[in-house]
Amino acid sequence: MSGNGNNELLKVEHVTKLFGGLAAVNDVSFTVNSGEIKGLIGPNGAGKTTLFDLITGIQRPTSGKVYFKGIDVVGMRPDEITSLGMVRTFQTIKIFEGMSVIENVMVGRHSRTRTGLFSSGFLLPRSRKEELETFEHSMRILEMLGLETRAFDAGTNLPYGQQRLLELARALACEPEMLLLDEPAAGLNPYETQELTQLLERIKSDGVTLLVVEHNMGLVMNISDEVIVLDYGEIIARGAPEEVQNDPKVIEAYLGSGIGNAKG
Amino acid sequence: MKQSVEKSKVKAKRCENKYKNFAIASVLILIVPLWARFIPGNLIHMDIVNVMALAGIYSCAVIGLNLLIGYAGQISLGHAAFFGIGAYSVAILSTRYPGFPAWLGIIIGAIISCAISWIVGKPVLKLKGHYLAMATLGLGEIGFIFFREATGITKGTVGIIAIPPLSIFGIVIDSDFKIFYVVWITVLLLMLFSMNLIKSRFGRALRALHSSEIAAEAAGVNTSKYKTVVFVMSAVFTAVGGGLFAVFQRYVNPESFHFSVSILFITMVVVGGLGNLWGAVIGSIIITFLPSIISALPYWFPFMPESLTNFGNYTLVLYGILLIVFMIFMPKGIAYALEISYSSALRGMKRIRDRISAMRYTKRK
Repeated sequence: MSGNGNNELLKVEHVTKLFGGLAAVNDVSFTVNSGEIKGLIGPNGAGKTTLFDLITGIQRPTSGKVYFKGIDVVGMRPDEITSLGMVRTFQTIKIFEGMSVIENVMVGRHSRTRTGLFSSGFLLPRSRKEELETFEHSMRILEMLGLETRAFDAGTNLPYGQQRLLELARALACEPEMLLLDEPAAGLNPYETQELTQLLERIKSDGVTLLVVEHNMGLVMNISDEVIVLDYGEIIARGAPEEVQNDPKVIEAYLGSGIGNAKG
Repeated sequence: MKQSVEKSKVKAKRCENKYKNFAIASVLILIVPLWARFIPGNLIHMDIVNVMALAGIYSCAVIGLNLLIGYAGQISLGHAAFFGIGAYSVAILSTRYPGFPAWLGIIIGAIISCAISWIVGKPVLKLKGHYLAMATLGLGEIGFIFFREATGITKGTVGIIAIPPLSIFGIVIDSDFKIFYVVWITVLLLMLFSMNLIKSRFGRALRALHSSEIAAEAAGVNTSKYKTVVFVMSAVFTAVGGGLFAVFQRYVNPESFHFSVSILFITMVVVGGLGNLWGAVIGSIIITFLPSIISALPYWFPFMPESLTNFGNYTLVLYGILLIVFMIFMPKGIAYALEISYSSALRGMKRIRDRISAMRYTKRK
């Protein structure tokens, strides 16, 4: 437990990940407070997705600590971290093949339901009740995202933008306290991005804390309370969106040195 | 919300439909002995009830293996060992201790298989990838060598003869007719269990991890636990099949649990249809009938030269060829093809009915 108030939901302390001699993430520390939206930006290869993997237990940091709700999550399995209430989405869409849209969302309810092998195999009343609740909860989430009419279609048959939404729906089904979104707007058209922005605002107003990796600057600058900029695995800037936008180091990281005044 | 309630009803209807199909299939299977006895044996040169009972025994194993391969995406090359454990448990217990109930032997075999599969599966299934195939390859070989060489317990290659028949509630299951029903009722119960399972939280987790382990973990599924549980379950199903095999044959020897039997099970899964529960049953029936059909060929076609009809020794080659052909041309198996043709037949019937009613309508005019 770090005694910096109850407001601190996620605390990343001196996290480093080495691949051979290369530091993909180098001594990164930051905190995310409850109820805020934090943006994480940086050029390609800056280590954003690796950082997500380290926080959510998919990879283990070489050194450093990650606390979620004051609990040390380093070394925990990804599914344990998900049950704690920290859920992520993926940059490359991972919709479950051969399953309908609603079933995809229902998988997201996994950590919030308990039916086991025998009660589902023998179709005990308890499992039927829980199954119905799972179905209805998932349906409500689909309605919120406007996917309810596609509920019984195969998940992989959805158009790209809706697949992104479906991933978000699956993550929301876990009733997360914190969502880690890895490029939620990648491949969306401007209209869809606009809708996503409103959706993220709504998720935030429902009390969910967000950490968002995104390349779409419009989106990040719009919704973030604070932005962290990563380059070559290190944090090079942090602060309010407008501050970061004007930071010469950030401009250099994105555009290269020598044309520092070319910012738009 | 109103709309979603409507949809729940649609879904409930679908479930009813599932049970309707299950009931139809059960009746179709359970009436086999009733008509099969009217077919003269010298016409077809095979005992349909006997072969069907054996197909049912294999189905137990194949349903379990299908859950493992088709739904969880893990391959086992050693299920013959679990089949053997089930069979030898019954054989050893009921010949050593006269009066030992065979059904208890089946349960003990299932428990032993459960323990062994858990010990093997637990560490191996923590890893991602196809390590289970390698581990079970070894397990199958160990099992076979044990059955052959531990002559003090298993009587080695001689095998255990004169296994007393199964008796349930005082009824002695001593004929093919009776064992057929014992076997197929067991199969149908396992089917029902698996059908419920696949549509539940458990089944969704399995299908999800088959598609993407990382995404399933991110959604909160403890993938290694689920893979282990489904592996243990398939081993238990297979051991039950093995136990029934012992009381069906009333004789066991190591040859019935050779590596080739593991391949036979996989062939049945693939031919029937990966990830299709009824496919497991259909695959088992087809592949079990194959040797009988092959050995009946010389009787059916006496006018053909013997070299064309007498290829009983090449059944294993045939399994291999089937496996390849199905993987290439029909990866979803026969069950899927049947489903497709069934639904297109329904559509065709509907079209004909529509046309007839249209004709009537125009006539009336």
